[in-house]
Amino acid sequence: MSITLNALLKSPWVFHLSTGSCNNCDIEVLDCLTPRFDIERFGMLLTGSIKHADVLLVTGSCNRKSANRLKVLYDQAPKPCVVIAIGECSLSRGMFIHSYNCPVPLDKIIPVDAYIPGCPPKPEAIIAGAVKLIQKVRGK
Amino acid sequence: MARREEILKDIQTRFREDIVDFFDKSSKRVYIEIKPESIVRVAGYIFKELEARFNIASGVDARTHLEILYHFSLEDINLLISLRVKLDRENPEIDSLAPVFKGANWIEREIHELLGINFRGHPDLRRLLLAKEWPAGVYPLRADYREWDRNAIRDRGV
Amino acid sequence: MYLVYLIVYGVIATACIGLVASWIDRKLTARIQYRVGPPFFQPLRDIVKLLGKETLIPAGSSKGMFMFAPIIGFASVAVASTLLWMNSGTSAQSFLGDIIVVIYLLAIPSISIMLGGFASGNPVARVGASREMKLLLSYELPFILAVLVPIIKSGYSLKLNEILRTQSMNGSFALSISGILALIVFVLVMQAKLALVPFDIAEAETEIIDGPLTDYSGTGLALFRLMKNMLLFTLPFFLVILFLGGFHLDGIRILYSFLKYIAILLVITVIRNTNPRLRIDQAMKFFWGPVTGVAVVAVIFAILGM
Repeated sequence: MSITLNALLKSPWVFHLSTGSCNNCDIEVLDCLTPRFDIERFGMLLTGSIKHADVLLVTGSCNRKSANRLKVLYDQAPKPCVVIAIGECSLSRGMFIHSYNCPVPLDKIIPVDAYIPGCPPKPEAIIAGAVKLIQKVRGK
Repeated sequence: MARREEILKDIQTRFREDIVDFFDKSSKRVYIEIKPESIVRVAGYIFKELEARFNIASGVDARTHLEILYHFSLEDINLLISLRVKLDRENPEIDSLAPVFKGANWIEREIHELLGINFRGHPDLRRLLLAKEWPAGVYPLRADYREWDRNAIRDRGV
Repeated sequence: MYLVYLIVYGVIATACIGLVASWIDRKLTARIQYRVGPPFFQPLRDIVKLLGKETLIPAGSSKGMFMFAPIIGFASVAVASTLLWMNSGTSAQSFLGDIIVVIYLLAIPSISIMLGGFASGNPVARVGASREMKLLLSYELPFILAVLVPIIKSGYSLKLNEILRTQSMNGSFALSISGILALIVFVLVMQAKLALVPFDIAEAETEIIDGPLTDYSGTGLALFRLMKNMLLFTLPFFLVILFLGGFHLDGIRILYSFLKYIAILLVITVIRNTNPRLRIDQAMKFFWGPVTGVAVVAVIFAILGM
């Protein structure tokens, strides 16, 4: 595996993006970053700016307005970049599947690398999903 | 209690020709149905003289007509007054309350773009929540809304 | 010959010790907060990862200055650190006025962050850079006054090895009243120069978005982070030379030098973890008020010979 990808997995900087969620998944993501689960031992830091981000944690079902903004933001994240979709709403729009404002699921708008189901997923589930993603990227 | 009775009797006598129906549901909620022409007078009286707080307005598509409910609350006597107006489906129009109090400005924009009710006299009736590419004239919260987007994916793929 | 000094001592040694110091800081912060911290090579991994990402240049920025600002900062810290290292070896070479050069060079990293913030066309970066500018204006005066005290006490000389020689003859300057006052002022100003809490107003005040460094990605950000880590070594080194007798690289005195450096680093980290962040007007009042007063008192004591 190339050295840049190896370095990326050892120090992934996390950026949290909500495309119109009910904020429950956002609270669970925030729980993951607290000292109890301590992601700094894996080298993860929460960054404020999208241009410092390696991992995008996307929550929420994407409605029409935030789809435009999401495409702009995804272009500004420097590649190589990993996208993780958290919660049912970002997997397949969950219960908003027939809503007039959510036409397509998230992976038709930006490419997604890992899916974490749950409404909302527990922090342990989020960490397990991240570990599976790292193993998948390493095993390639 | 006495003040509550006094206020309700006052409204009933003052606006006798405008009130169509008066439903005293419980000690906390009162539904007053009025004619659409008199909304500015009645709402102005409740907001200014009674000093009630304007909470929100809600719009509904009942099958035969469109309705708007304006909710005013009087916190010191724990009373929520809801003013109901019924509008017909072909040409729903009503006077805007935005010149009376500023809190009605955005909620009328939202009701206009989602239900298609025209507010006469509103200073700025633009789009609030829907995206730019939403076609004009399509009102999603009406009962006869049908999907217009060809690229929408509505099955879960399983 | 000087080029060898620059590359080996200025860049490589400073970078290595700076990265280890950054690790110590993060691990100690994590332990104080009851959690496990990052593993040992983490700051190095951060910088290697940033070098592998693509660099995005915003469209509304002035592109030359945007790319040039991290290089200015990095170069100034490397040269300042070389000057300091050159006085600690056995062949100490210093010239008249080199302490003034070091003071100027150590003001440039903050200026380069400011330049970078203004050069990206981002309003958030602009606000962060203007706060950095205000902070810079307020802490430079106590800094110069605090550096003035060892100059006065070593007989009004402007050479670094004169200061070291006076300290090795008479005992280090921190054991006198004016020395202690100047040391306290220097520690507070160092906290602001390193952009650490309670004075990291520019970087993390716009806490959700990273201040002047918002638009940097890839190589520029790697250079800025490396510059900050090297500054974490250079400034305590300057303090040790001025007040605590300098580094000595022969025999048992290596251990003493090491302990002096670690003690300063511990003071920085403990101040960082036990204080909230100040607003910009509180920080300016703090530096122009009590800190400058204490520095002036220290200079007066130094002139009187105490």
